[in-house]
Amino acid sequence: MTLTHSGTPEDFVPTSQSELSRFLSDNATSARKQTFPVGGRTSLAVCCPDSHSGPLICTSQLNRVVDYPVRDMTITVEAGMRLDQLNEIISAEGQRLPIDVPQSNRATIGGVIATNTSGPRRFSYGTIRDYVIGISAVDGVGNLFKSGGRVVKNVAGYDLGKMLVGSLGTLSVISQVSLNLRPRPECMQLVWFDFDSCQSVDQALEAIVTSGTRPTAVEYCNSKAARQITAESRIELPNENHAVCICYEGPENVVKWQAQQIINEWRAFSSLDAQIIEGSQASQLYNALTEYQTSSDDPVTLKAVVLPSQMMSFIETATSLNIAVQAHAADGIVFGHLPDSASSLENVNQILEQLQSVIDPGTGYLTIYQCESDWAESLPLFCSPPAGWELMQQLKQALDPLQLLNSRRFTELVKS
Amino acid sequence: MVDPDNQTSHLVAPVLEQLERGSGPFSSLIQQLTQIVGKNSLLYDADELLVYECDGYIVDKSAPDIVVFPTSTEQISSIVKICNQFNVPFLARGAGTSLSGGCLPIGGGVMIVLTRMKQILEINLRDRYAIVEPGMVNLHLTNALKGTGYHYAPDPSSQGSCTIGGNIATNSGGPHTLKYGVTTNHVLGLEAVLPDGSVINLGGPTAETPGYDLHGVYVGNEGTFGICTKAIVRLTRDPEAHRTMLAVFQTISDATRAISEIIAAGIIPSALEMMDQGIIQAIEEAFHFGFPLDAGAVLLIEVDGLEIALDEEARRIVEICNAHNLREIQRADTPEERLLIWKSRKQAFGAIGRLSPSYCTQDGVVPRTRLPEILEFIEATSQKYGMRIVNVFHAGDGNVHPILLFDERDQDQIQQVMEASEEILSKCLELGGSVTGEHGIGVEKINFMSRIFNETDLSQMEKVRNIFNPRQICSRDKVLPPHGEESQSAVTLSHPGRRAPH
Repeated sequence: MTLTHSGTPEDFVPTSQSELSRFLSDNATSARKQTFPVGGRTSLAVCCPDSHSGPLICTSQLNRVVDYPVRDMTITVEAGMRLDQLNEIISAEGQRLPIDVPQSNRATIGGVIATNTSGPRRFSYGTIRDYVIGISAVDGVGNLFKSGGRVVKNVAGYDLGKMLVGSLGTLSVISQVSLNLRPRPECMQLVWFDFDSCQSVDQALEAIVTSGTRPTAVEYCNSKAARQITAESRIELPNENHAVCICYEGPENVVKWQAQQIINEWRAFSSLDAQIIEGSQASQLYNALTEYQTSSDDPVTLKAVVLPSQMMSFIETATSLNIAVQAHAADGIVFGHLPDSASSLENVNQILEQLQSVIDPGTGYLTIYQCESDWAESLPLFCSPPAGWELMQQLKQALDPLQLLNSRRFTELVKS
Repeated sequence: MVDPDNQTSHLVAPVLEQLERGSGPFSSLIQQLTQIVGKNSLLYDADELLVYECDGYIVDKSAPDIVVFPTSTEQISSIVKICNQFNVPFLARGAGTSLSGGCLPIGGGVMIVLTRMKQILEINLRDRYAIVEPGMVNLHLTNALKGTGYHYAPDPSSQGSCTIGGNIATNSGGPHTLKYGVTTNHVLGLEAVLPDGSVINLGGPTAETPGYDLHGVYVGNEGTFGICTKAIVRLTRDPEAHRTMLAVFQTISDATRAISEIIAAGIIPSALEMMDQGIIQAIEEAFHFGFPLDAGAVLLIEVDGLEIALDEEARRIVEICNAHNLREIQRADTPEERLLIWKSRKQAFGAIGRLSPSYCTQDGVVPRTRLPEILEFIEATSQKYGMRIVNVFHAGDGNVHPILLFDERDQDQIQQVMEASEEILSKCLELGGSVTGEHGIGVEKINFMSRIFNETDLSQMEKVRNIFNPRQICSRDKVLPPHGEESQSAVTLSHPGRRAPH
C-alpha cells in the first residue's frame, strides 16, 4: 500500500539544518500550521489517522555525507539520505548497516529512524536503535538540538536518540544522524522448510533456543503469505503449508555448515525436504521477505508483538481468519495483511477483537500498522495503551508544545 | 513548567531541606522511615554513614544523613513519598562502584541502598529474557545462567560487585561490548519508582513495545529519573567456543595499529583489551602471570562464535598482529588458561593498590584510529605533572581508562589529578571523542557538559529529565550542570560544608 500526499505550495524543502530550524521557529511564532515531516514517503500510512492538511517538510535536500571515517566504522549523514545511497557508499568499503528496509530505493535514514523500521535480521543484529550513536533534530518550535556523538561508546548526557527512534516525527524532525557500522559478511544462504502444522513449527522454533547454529534471521510465513513471497522472488518453493525460512551469514564454510546442520536438527519436526537457497536467488528471496511487511494492497496491515512462545497460537487464529501472515518468528513480531473480504469497518473490528482475545494483555500488543486513510480515524490503531503512556504524552508536550508536528499521528490515537 | 514560547526556560532546583541532626524533623523522618523498613534496615549514626560518603570516585565526598535498605518496590515508593513530604533530597545506591560520583549524596538527605533487592524473579530461555531486582550483582546473574546456554552480555570490569540497577543507571559497558553492545542494547523494560513515589513500567519482555522508547531514554539517566526497581534484560546465546590470546607488542603504537587493522579486516572480536607497560608491571608484581616487563603493550584478544569459524579468525588476527611487529603471542588452549588470561585483565585494578595509595580512573573515548594520539598525550601529561599514569582499557571501542596514581592525603596531588584529568578529557573532545564511555557524567564531569552540548541541547535534556523528576529532588545536581555556575566540584559549589575532609 502506498499513500500519496497531495502536497501544497507551502511545502518546505530545507537545504540545511539551520534552514529547517528557522522554518519551524517561524511557524511556531506566526502561522502555527500543522507540519508533516516526510522522507521517502514510504511509510505515510504507518499509524496515520487521516490525510494530512498542511505543509510538508521534505528532507530530500538534506542528503549529504557529513563525515565518514571509514576505519572507525562510523558514518554521519543528513537525515534525507536514501538507504540505497547510504548502502552504496558504505558497501564500497566492505561495510553495512544491518537493518532491513523495504523500498530502500526511496526510504531515507531519517524515516527509518522515525518509523523504527526493521526486518528479518533484527533477530541477530538488533534494530536501528542499536546503531544510532548520535542524532540531531529540530523540535516543534525550532530548537535544533543534538545528543550522543560520533564515537561508538559514549554516555555523556541523556540518550535522546532512543526517544526519537520510532517517534514517527511527532517529537521533532530528525536532521542528521551518526551511525555505527558493521562489516559485510562474505556469504548468505537461506534454508526453506515446509511444515504441516502450527504445532510442528512451534516445536522447531523452540528448538532454535538450543540449536547448534546461530541464525541471522528466522522468518515464518503461512501458506497465503508464502505463496505471495515465493511468487515475488520467482523461486519455486513449497508454499501450501507453513514455511519457515532461516538465514545464515558469515564466512562461506561456516554458512554452509550451519545450513546443513539446521536441516539435520529439524528433521525431527518436518519430514519434508528442506531447500537451501544460495547466490542471487538467496538475495531475491531475502528481498521478498523484507518487502512483504509493507507490500500488500490489502486494506489493513496489522502488527502484533508477542512473546515468541505465544506467537504460534496467535498465528493459528490469524490464519483461521484468512489473514496472510509473515513473522520475524524468533522475535515474536507478526505482520498480517487482512483479506479484501474484510471490506467494512465492522468486519475489521470483529477481526481485531478476535485477535486481541488471543493476546496476553500483559505482554503483547496489537497495532494497525497501516490502513486506508479514511478508515484510520475509526479504527483503534493502538489496541491498548502502552506502558508509560502518560509520560509519553508529557514528552510530546515538552518537545512540541504547540502540537505542530504530526500531532494527530500516533499520540492521540490510543483508545484507552 | 515549560513555556511554549520560550523553549530555553530553565527550572531552577528547589531549595531542599538540610537535615539537622537531632532536630524535630530529623527525628520524625527517622521514625517514619523506621516504620517502613524496620530499625535494622536504617542507619543514621555519623560514623556508620562514613561508609556511604563516596563511591568509587573518591575525589569528592559528602555523607548522607540517613541510609535505608528497602526490600521491595512498595517500600521504596513509601520512602520516596516521605522524602517528598519532608522536602529532603534522596538518591539510590547499589554497590557504589560508580567512578564518577554518581552515588554522591549532594546535599545529604536519604540514601536508598538497593543491595537487599537482589533476587532473580524470572528466567525465560524460550523468550530470551530474565527479570531481576536492581541490587542483583551482575556476575551473580551470569553465574545463575551457567549451564543454560545463555548469558547476560554486558560485563563491566567490576561485574563481581556492581549491580544491574547501577549498570542501567550508567549504561555500563565492559570488555565484551565491542561485539555485544552496552547495557542499553540488552534492557527490554523496567519498573521504576518515580521521584514522586509513583510506580511505573516502561517497555516489557517483548521485542518491542508501541510508543516512545522511554526505557531507552531511562537507561543511562544516572539515577536522575527515579529508582529502577526491576529490570527485564535480554539473554544472549553463549558462544560455542572462544579463542583467547595475549599479544605482546614492543610499542603501544604497534598495538593500536594492529587493533585498527583487525577491525578494518571485517573481524569484530568479542574483546580487544589493552594493557600498557605500567599496568603490566603492576599486574606482574601482584600476580606473576609471566608478562614480559619490558613490553610496550599487551593486547588481550578474544574471538568467539561457532567452533568451525574460530581457527580461521584467530589465524587472520595473528597475521595482522605479525604485520605490526608482534613480539610474541600466548594462546589459551584450555578453559583454565582462558580464565587465567581474563584474570590478568579483570584484576588489573586490584594490582594498582601496590603502586599507589589512591587512584583516579578516567573514562575518555576517541575514535579508534586516534588511539595512538591520545595515548601519546596521556604520556606527555604524565611527564608534565610528574604523576604516574597507567593504562588498561577497551581499545576496540576507543574507550581509554588512564589511571592517575596519587595520594589523596596530599591536597596538591588532588588538584593535580583534577587538572591532568581535565587536560586528558579535553584532548579526547578535541580528537572527536567524548569524556565518558561507560562511567557517566556523575558529579565529576558535570562541567564538561556545557562544552560537549550547547544551551539548547542541555535545555532539551533538562525537559526530558523534568518529565521524570520535575522537582529535582532525586539524585540532584548530577549529569546536567547547575545554571550559571562553573566549578570543578559540584559538591563544594552547591553545598559548601557538605564535603567531608579527606
